[in-house]
Amino acid sequence: MTRKHLENAPITASALTDEFMRLKKGSVTRRHFLGVTGLGLAAAVMTRFPGAFNASAYAAEDLGTQMSIATWPNYHDPATFENFKAATGVAVEVNVFGSNEEMLAKIQAGASGWSLFVPTNYTISTYQKLGLIEELDLSKIPNFSQASENPRFTDQGKIDGKTYALPKNWGTTGFSVNTSKIKTPMKTWKDFFEIAQTEADGRAMVHDYQLTTIGSALVSLGYDFNSIKADELAKAEELLIKVKPHLFAINSDYQPSMRSTDAWMTMCWTNDGAQLNRDMPEIAYVLGTDGGEIWTDYYAIPKDAPNKAAGYALLNYLMDPANAVKEHIANGAPTTDSRVIALLPAEVTSNKIVYPDEAALTPLEFGAAVTLTDPGRAELMARFKSA
Amino acid sequence: MRALVTFVYVFLYTPIVLIVLFAFNSGRSASEFTGFSTQWFGKALSNAFLMDALENSLIVGLTSAALATVFGTMAALGLERVSPRTRAVFDALFAAAIVVPGVVIGIATLVALVEVFGIANSVIASVWPGAQPPRLQLGFGSIIAAHGLFTMALVTMIVKARIASLGRDIVEASSDLYATPMTTFWQIVFPQILPSVLAGFLLAFTFSFDDFIIAFFVAGSKTTLPIYVFASIRRGVTPEINAIAAMVLVASLILILSARFLMRDRTATQ
Amino acid sequence: MALQQETRKKLVTLALVGPAGLWLFVFLVLPFIAMVVFAFGKRAPEGGYQPAFTFEQFANLGSRAAAFVNTLMLAPVGALACLLIAYPVAYYLAVKASPRHRLLLVSLVVVPFWTSLLVRTYAWMYLLGARGIPHLLELLGIENVRLINTPGAVLLGIVYGYLPLMIMPIYVSLEKLDRRLLEASADLGAKPVSTFFGITVPLSLPGVMTGLALVTILLLGEYLIPQLLGGGKVFFIGNALVDLFLQSRNWPFGSAIAVTLVVVVVIVLMIAMRIAWRFAGTRQVDLV
Repeated sequence: MTRKHLENAPITASALTDEFMRLKKGSVTRRHFLGVTGLGLAAAVMTRFPGAFNASAYAAEDLGTQMSIATWPNYHDPATFENFKAATGVAVEVNVFGSNEEMLAKIQAGASGWSLFVPTNYTISTYQKLGLIEELDLSKIPNFSQASENPRFTDQGKIDGKTYALPKNWGTTGFSVNTSKIKTPMKTWKDFFEIAQTEADGRAMVHDYQLTTIGSALVSLGYDFNSIKADELAKAEELLIKVKPHLFAINSDYQPSMRSTDAWMTMCWTNDGAQLNRDMPEIAYVLGTDGGEIWTDYYAIPKDAPNKAAGYALLNYLMDPANAVKEHIANGAPTTDSRVIALLPAEVTSNKIVYPDEAALTPLEFGAAVTLTDPGRAELMARFKSA
Repeated sequence: MRALVTFVYVFLYTPIVLIVLFAFNSGRSASEFTGFSTQWFGKALSNAFLMDALENSLIVGLTSAALATVFGTMAALGLERVSPRTRAVFDALFAAAIVVPGVVIGIATLVALVEVFGIANSVIASVWPGAQPPRLQLGFGSIIAAHGLFTMALVTMIVKARIASLGRDIVEASSDLYATPMTTFWQIVFPQILPSVLAGFLLAFTFSFDDFIIAFFVAGSKTTLPIYVFASIRRGVTPEINAIAAMVLVASLILILSARFLMRDRTATQ
Repeated sequence: MALQQETRKKLVTLALVGPAGLWLFVFLVLPFIAMVVFAFGKRAPEGGYQPAFTFEQFANLGSRAAAFVNTLMLAPVGALACLLIAYPVAYYLAVKASPRHRLLLVSLVVVPFWTSLLVRTYAWMYLLGARGIPHLLELLGIENVRLINTPGAVLLGIVYGYLPLMIMPIYVSLEKLDRRLLEASADLGAKPVSTFFGITVPLSLPGVMTGLALVTILLLGEYLIPQLLGGGKVFFIGNALVDLFLQSRNWPFGSAIAVTLVVVVVIVLMIAMRIAWRFAGTRQVDLV
């Protein structure tokens, strides 16, 4: 353990200078500075435990040594958590989920064990209603800046003027296509479901997630993404069950299969689309011109979080633009924070997968809260999977 | 036939060889071999979450196997002395505990405990003097209970079979010689059933240590090794998992071999 | 004096069976009752359980018919596939293998059981994925072969995972076989084939039936193998159950399916025992 901390502690001279300048300008707190540079650790150790290494001693509040976060596949820069551990001594366990419904089920069954999680916009009102999340204490998150946030992507974190969740990033749900395998150009969800049964027979993936899988099927039929009308859902079910034998898999973690070219086409979130395209340029990302989803993922703290102090510390760490910018570069999802946009390199901000033209966003809709708990959609998804 | 048998052994061992091989991969991937390295063993051993999961699995496995072995053996002995009707009831329940699929055991335990805990917690909260009443939650207790159910039935079956094959005359002869029942038990019966008790313990521990589906439902916020591995498969396996699997394999091989050695020693002296 | 001894004996008996009885009652009987009660309840608006008395859940069982059919097809097929491979191996181990190597060979069958089934199945995910066997086939000029996420992959995973459980009981029953019977049969001029079918097979039937029943019953509750090798497309009842509890949060319907699954298991078991009695002429089907 001790050896690992030492490995992580050193910081390059230039980074140290950078951090020091930012400290002087007042853009970071003293604790942040000490944390990032590892000086806090050294100072604390030297004053309080000469000769001993106790990483958490640097913090004013006892953060413990570990916490876990519930999030999505391929969603973070692994270095983020290593740096956080170096700064605070708290190791972060990452649990990934395939759908918001799965997260809700786990938290509803009691004792999820998470101290921070990443729900999507349309679920927050339900978590709040069920008393599963708490109002955030913004004084513990000084790095968050309401003024620099884009309200379009942050409003759903607030209920009755109280802040329950802070935005991580926004994004879109489209599809990724390996163009070296599939030659037909595709523009719409209608194309997606057609090609899935023909050219991409046995090679297409859909999410294990009611909102996007049912939503996209609805869109391809010309219905509303969020529909809960029984007759429209019945049509969507008919389509999905017809397509199912032609699918490669029903799975929200499609990156491994796309990378190995087991799968040639998949429903896809912005961030995965950007990551895949970055590493394999032949994998294109398409936004349906007939519709689809636009979303914001938030950070929230469960009411029964076992290590709230660490949850807040990590949240504050992630809200620091200097850390957030690294997350955004690694994960490829667009940021909601203008401070971060200012720091992002031009090749990211000009990437049309990450920051599409406004016109491409117009047909897209935010998920509606009712889809999360609607029994019709839940049952449809389950029937589709078990068909 | 020889060819077929050889093929079956290759079939059984290819994945295992692959697992061990990738444990020595130098790269981050558990699917692309980039060079030889032993770094992942060190990484696995210093990964606090993996070690926690391993520790949890050992706690659950040892506790549930110990309880199951003690209670299961006691039941096997006791069932010799009860009325046929009582024995039929027990036999049926033990058979049910073995036959009911793990996924159902997991669900039933979850459903029942969540309900019971809900009621108990509101009762505790209403009578608790302090501000922070203790809360009953899923965790070690629920996993041990659910695992122990199956493994206790297993132990009872195994020990019962052994008792059935023992001659009653030994016990009777011993009593005739005015040994007290306790002396008879510890000196005559116990050594005879000990191998099956140990076998039962070993099976119980293996089951509990490897079980995923029951723990998946009733573990609450606790992470056992299989739950950790399942989560890793979803977030992308690193050779850490291979390293820990290889270490568990070697540990269990040592365990099996020493068990066999001990058993052989015992049979040789008898 | 006699009475006292009688009481004492009863107390000892109670102390012996008490803990097991309590455990069975609290963690088997009560949860099962709770599950049955839940099965007659309703799904709460936000998911979970809401008390009610309705047959709605059982009436809805038809919507999971595909999962039931899938399970009831693939479980016996998987068990039979295991049997086809296991029998020659068990026969070889019990009859043909030299006594010197026998213990080692038998141990080697058991060892895979000691590595996590999850990790072994993960190894198959790699072997069947595009970087594994299909990649080797590509080198041979056979392109775009897809193995993972097919019923075949699930069947292979099943055979792999359960083969040792099938080999062991058959081996045990064949090992007990008195070799003098085989010799006598040969001496009386029987051909090896008729000796095999006339003597070996009937005598190994208890082991075969035990293996079949054991593997089939375990498969009826399988979740992991279809989940990992079937890509969420090959669905067993176990997968439907996990989905209902961990995704659509429909606890009452999940309970109804779980109750039904138990009934199915009991029926399958009864059929297996009936067949075993008829063919093996024995009333002994050891499940352990």
